[in-house]
Amino acid sequence: MDLFVAALGFGLVSMSVIAIAAVGFTMQFGITNMINLAYGEVMISSAYLAYYLNRAGISIWAGMVAGALFGAVFSFLLNRILYAPFLRKGTSHLGMVIVSLAVSAMIANLLIPIVGYYPRSYQEDPGGLIRLGGIALTRDQLIVIGVAIVLMLAIHALLAYTRLGKAMRATAANPTLARNCGIPTQRVIDAVWLITGALCGLAGVVAALNSDSFAIANGAAFLITILAAAVLGGAGQPYGAMLGAVLIGLITELSAAAWSPQYKEVVAFGILVLVMILRPQGLLAKRGALAAAG
Amino acid sequence: MNTYYAANLLVYAGIDIIACLALNLQFGVSGIVNFSFIVFQAVGAYAAAVLSMPPDTANGGFQHYIGGYSLTFPIPWIGGAVAGGLLAIPVGFVVLRKLRSDYQAIALLVLSVIANTVITNADKFLGGAAGIALVPPPLSERIDPNTESYQYLYVGITAVCVVLTLFLVNRIVNSPYGRSLRAMRERELAATAIGKNPVELKMTIFIVGGVIAGLSGAILVGFIQVWAPSVWLYPETIVLFAAIIVGGRGSNIGAILGALLVPVGFEEVTRFLNNDPAIANLGPPGLIPALQWVAIGLLIIGFLWFRPDGVHPEARRVFEGAPALED
Repeated sequence: MDLFVAALGFGLVSMSVIAIAAVGFTMQFGITNMINLAYGEVMISSAYLAYYLNRAGISIWAGMVAGALFGAVFSFLLNRILYAPFLRKGTSHLGMVIVSLAVSAMIANLLIPIVGYYPRSYQEDPGGLIRLGGIALTRDQLIVIGVAIVLMLAIHALLAYTRLGKAMRATAANPTLARNCGIPTQRVIDAVWLITGALCGLAGVVAALNSDSFAIANGAAFLITILAAAVLGGAGQPYGAMLGAVLIGLITELSAAAWSPQYKEVVAFGILVLVMILRPQGLLAKRGALAAAG
Repeated sequence: MNTYYAANLLVYAGIDIIACLALNLQFGVSGIVNFSFIVFQAVGAYAAAVLSMPPDTANGGFQHYIGGYSLTFPIPWIGGAVAGGLLAIPVGFVVLRKLRSDYQAIALLVLSVIANTVITNADKFLGGAAGIALVPPPLSERIDPNTESYQYLYVGITAVCVVLTLFLVNRIVNSPYGRSLRAMRERELAATAIGKNPVELKMTIFIVGGVIAGLSGAILVGFIQVWAPSVWLYPETIVLFAAIIVGGRGSNIGAILGALLVPVGFEEVTRFLNNDPAIANLGPPGLIPALQWVAIGLLIIGFLWFRPDGVHPEARRVFEGAPALED
C-alpha cells in the first residue's frame, strides 16, 4: 500500500511534467493545425542546453528559463523557416507530418556529434524530503509541481481573459474568418509558436530533471507520453491536455509501481490505443482525431 | 569487386526494392502513411527466423526465443510473409477505421517506437535487446552457404521475389482496383460518394503491404542471419519514405529508382567514406552516420519543396473516352 501512496507522489510530479509539455504540444496543433513531431527533440535540445549551463555552474532554475527561451526561439524559427513556407505552398497535413518527422530525425542526429551518446544528468541537490501524509517529495519535485500549477493557471488566464488569447481561440476555430474580422492571424501564430516553444523548452528541462538521466533517445519517449496525454484529452484542447496529463501521469506511475517502470511508455501507448478505439475524439473534444464525416 | 561484395549489394538492393514497392503501394498509391512499415519487415524477419531455427535449447541454449521449428525453405519465408499480413489486421483495425489521416500516421509512428521497446525489454520472447543470432540460411542443409555459388543462388532467389512482387504490385496499380485506390488517395470523400469503401480498400492494401514487407524481412534475415531491435528502429522507416519521395510517389519505377538511390546509395557512400581513414576519423565519433541521417532529412525536405513528384513522377492517367477539356 505504501508503494502506491509513494507512486501517487511520483504521479503528481509526472503529471506536472506531462502537463507542461502536453499543453504546449496541443496548443501548437490546435491553433496552427500542425502536428509537430519534432517537439520531443526540441525538448531534448533545451534539456542539453540547461545541462551545459548547469555544468558551467549556473543553477538549474536559471537553466530552466534559458531552456524555455531557447525552445521559444527554436520553435519560432522552425515554423518561420520551414513549416510556414510549406504550409503556404499548400502542403497537405500528411505532408507536414512527414516534414516534421524528417526535422525530428535531423535534430536528433545533429545533436549526436555535439552531445555524444552517453546519458547525462544534472548536478543538482534535490533538497530535503518533505512529507505530506504518506507522500514524500523532494524540494525540487515540489517546485516542479508549483511551476506546473502556475503555468496552467497562466495559460488559462491567457486564453480566457486576454486579447491575444481570444485571438488565438478565434484563429483555432476558423483562421479565415478570424483574418476577415481583422485579427492579424500571422502574428497570432508567431505568438503561439513562441509561447508553446517556451513551454516545450521548459518541459524538456523539467522532464530531464525529473528523470535520473537523459539521452537523445528520450525525445521519442517524451513524444509518446505527450501524444497520449494530448489525444486522451482531445487533440487541440489545452484543458483536455491538462486532464490527459493528470490521468496519464497517475496511471503510468501507478503501473510502474505495480508492474515495471520499463513499461511506462507501453502503458501510455495502451491508453492511446484504447482512446483511439473507444473515443477517438478524446475526452473533451467533439472532433479530435475523428475523421471528417463520410 | 569480389563476389561476396557484389552479392551483398544485389541482395540488399533486392530487399530494398521489395520494401519500397510495398510502401509505395501503401503510401504512394493509396495514401496510407505507414510510419510503422519497418515493424512489418521486422515481424516477417522474426517469424522466418524462429520457423527456420532449431529450438532455443540448441547451441548450448545461449539465446532465448519462442518456437524454433527447424522448417526448411521456403516455409519460413512464406511464414514471414503471412506474419506480416496477420499483424496488419489488428493494426489496421485500430488505426485505419475511424481516425483522421494525420492521426493514423502518428498512431503508426507511436506503434513503431513501442513495438521496439516491448521486444527489447521482453528478453525471453524474441531474444530481447540482444536479438536472435545463427539463423540458418535457406537451403543451407544442401548447399554450403560459404561458397560463391550459394551467393549467386541467394541473389537469384531474391531476384525471383523482386519480379514476383513487381508483377503483383503492377497488377494492382494498373487495375480498376488501383484506380479506386488513387481515387481514395486524391479525394476520399468523392471516392466514398461513388460507392467505394475506403476502410475496406485501406485494410486490403495494408494487409497486402504487410505481406510483402514480411517477405522482405524474411529475405533479409536469411541473408544476414541475425535480427535484433537495433536494426528496426523507427527511423529506418524514414529512409524508405525518403526513397519513395525521391523516386516518385505512386510510381513503381520510381519506387525502384528510389530504393537504388536512397537506401542502397547511402549505404554505399557511407561504406566508401568509412574506408578512407582520413574521413572516417573526422570529427567526434558517430559523425558520419549522424550526417547520413541529416542528409536523408534534407533529401525529404528538399524533394518535397523542389520536386514533390520525385525523379520519376507517377504517370498522369487520362481516360481516352472523356471529352477534351478546353483550357
